[in-house]
Amino acid sequence: MKSRFLSRRQFLRDSGAVAGVSAWPGGTAALFALAQSACTSKEQAAAFKELSAIEAREFEAIAARIMPTTDTPGAREAGVIYFIDNAFHSVLHGIRDDMRNGLDEFAKDVAARFGGARFSDLPEADQDDMLASIEDTPFFTGLRTLTFCGFFGMSKYGGNRNDAGWKLVGMDPHAGAWQPPFGYYDAEYMEGESNGD
Amino acid sequence: MAIDGQARFANRDTVDFVIVGSGSAGGIIAKELSTAGFSVVVLEQGPFRRKEDFTHDEIDVIVRNSLHGDRYGQTFRDDATKKAEPGFGAQYAQTVGGSSTHFTANFWRLREIDFRERSELGPISGTNFADWPISYAELEPYYTRVDYEIGVSGAAGPFDSFRSRPFAMPPMPIKSSGVLLERGAKKLGLHPQAAPLAILSQPLNGRPPCINCGFCMGFGCEVGAKSSTLAAMIPLAQASGNCEIRPESAVSQVVTNDANRVTEVLYFDRDGVEQSQKAAAVVLCANGAETPRVLLNSATSRYPDGLANSSGFVGRNLMFNGHSQNNAVFEHPLNDFKGVQVTRIVHDFYDSDEKRGFYGGGGIDGRPFLSATPLLFALSGADQAGRNWGAAYKQRIAQEFPRQMSTLNSTTSLPLDSNNITIDPEAKDRFGRPSLRLTYKDHPDDLAMAKFLQDRASEILEAAGAKRVWIEPVAPQTGSAHLLGTCRMGDDPSASVIDRFHRAHDLRNLFVCDGSSMVTSGRGQPTMTIMAMAFRAAEHIGTAARNNEI
Repeated sequence: MKSRFLSRRQFLRDSGAVAGVSAWPGGTAALFALAQSACTSKEQAAAFKELSAIEAREFEAIAARIMPTTDTPGAREAGVIYFIDNAFHSVLHGIRDDMRNGLDEFAKDVAARFGGARFSDLPEADQDDMLASIEDTPFFTGLRTLTFCGFFGMSKYGGNRNDAGWKLVGMDPHAGAWQPPFGYYDAEYMEGESNGD
Repeated sequence: MAIDGQARFANRDTVDFVIVGSGSAGGIIAKELSTAGFSVVVLEQGPFRRKEDFTHDEIDVIVRNSLHGDRYGQTFRDDATKKAEPGFGAQYAQTVGGSSTHFTANFWRLREIDFRERSELGPISGTNFADWPISYAELEPYYTRVDYEIGVSGAAGPFDSFRSRPFAMPPMPIKSSGVLLERGAKKLGLHPQAAPLAILSQPLNGRPPCINCGFCMGFGCEVGAKSSTLAAMIPLAQASGNCEIRPESAVSQVVTNDANRVTEVLYFDRDGVEQSQKAAAVVLCANGAETPRVLLNSATSRYPDGLANSSGFVGRNLMFNGHSQNNAVFEHPLNDFKGVQVTRIVHDFYDSDEKRGFYGGGGIDGRPFLSATPLLFALSGADQAGRNWGAAYKQRIAQEFPRQMSTLNSTTSLPLDSNNITIDPEAKDRFGRPSLRLTYKDHPDDLAMAKFLQDRASEILEAAGAKRVWIEPVAPQTGSAHLLGTCRMGDDPSASVIDRFHRAHDLRNLFVCDGSSMVTSGRGQPTMTIMAMAFRAAEHIGTAARNNEI
């Protein structure tokens, strides 16, 4: 399988000079469509537009190991799977089949190694081992990108429910503007510390 | 698309000037010439976004790259023996205001040495290293106009060249990244200074000061405090009644006649229909990648190597500025996602120093960089060592997003024949325009300078008390937002494309002003200089037009 996602290394390199090198396939249509098509009933367990129930369960199980539920919400609570479904239905329609095929191949590997089991049925430690074994594949790096986009992107795209992503990093997304002091060190500086002289 | 409140010109009418591009240079020249009474049509390939259209939407702006337009029409290779692949090498915004809408707004002036470094240091073998035909003193009044008319905040630093007026307004409030850079630098005996920024710390000409939202780098400013030409110049150009901004107009060719005159500009409108605007003179301000592309794509039997290219210098000497990056985490929260990117810089290593064993100079700045916004941080800004997913990585994101800062270290680039813009022999964009092809590999001295600054920056971060410092390995760049040197100015028509007043040596009614005009790269923040050149070019072009010398 050849994904059109950039690898993480490529992304890192390309975003080194300035922000803003696309991690999406070149020339995709506007992601605005995502917003319009975003799951309107995202507060409930809405039907998926693209994913079968089994696909949704398996993709979500992978996303939930990439951003696990800990003492704070993870991919599951943030509704990342709805973001992914929306993306496959609209601007990332072009990679839907690649990702679907990637999931099929991965499921076969899991079944072969664990006596016919599905990924979502495995204990977490086994799930992590399986994912570690495909860490460098376009399938996994693509899902990692999708998971973070769904977790930290604006909720209008279907994920980041209850601002889970922004709360994780301590950022009030609805503040919009700030006043100094911003952090510990500039607050201290403003109190008149000589600062290294 | 009709735009309310501005002049409108018919394609068949010969306007005084067509300006190609509405960015840092085009926006200023449009304002200057239109308010001086000349009729002006600005052809901009991007749409007309207003400040209200700019958002904090990382998926749209950072991941989808919406300000850059859907299709680039460009290819990249690092060596002329290779076939170029579709790429993102020339990183610029396609929108009215150009890249001045999404830039980070670091606004360093060049210094006196930048204009005469070749004379001071002597030749550098295998390069086109040269002096500028103008001096800092000649450009200084125009730097000052940028300070006051575009809006630059800051405070004079110990190494700055002279300025005729103080900064227009005080620097932006210091952030924790600035405090820490300053602290570490001072402990090492260096001389940190407030960062000059094209971001308002006080109101200017009806524009409000910055609200410290934190979405500067790569984003448009929703209040107009970032000093883009969209915020500072375009409204004045439109209000003159002499200027039509024509968005979604992608220029393909400049047309010439047998009398060696430019007569009209061909472009594709938003529907992909080819149009033509007649003009008495043309000013190319399309950036250091697109300007040479237009000139090369305008080749005719009279000009087989492209317009204005008798020297062969169109497209040559592409310079990106070199870059390196350090990251650090500290014990307490910096919350560097608040406020502008950069508040302190270190310019102690600006001058080239033969004791280092290579040519080059540069500056170090402290900033959140990729830790300013959460999605970018999770994708690539956080420390990627070890497993970059799972519970531990989630914990790292939560812990370090507010505690991380970076330095971005920016350097000179040497002008080389082998780094250039040419026309791709096969690739075309959606209009059928032959794509631009970037060929680029940093000179070893540029990489050495980037590494040298990275080593100094690590020392600064350690001295500031960082708990952990790590670096991104210095490697040849495959793209840049700095697109410089490809139509350099000079007195010698055999070794430059434009004269000291931005007029093409080969065509009297063709002018070029943008990053391509620069002879050397400066130390990494070219936009202030591009804007100063634009004010100066507009003055000379306007005078020539009034005197019937075009």
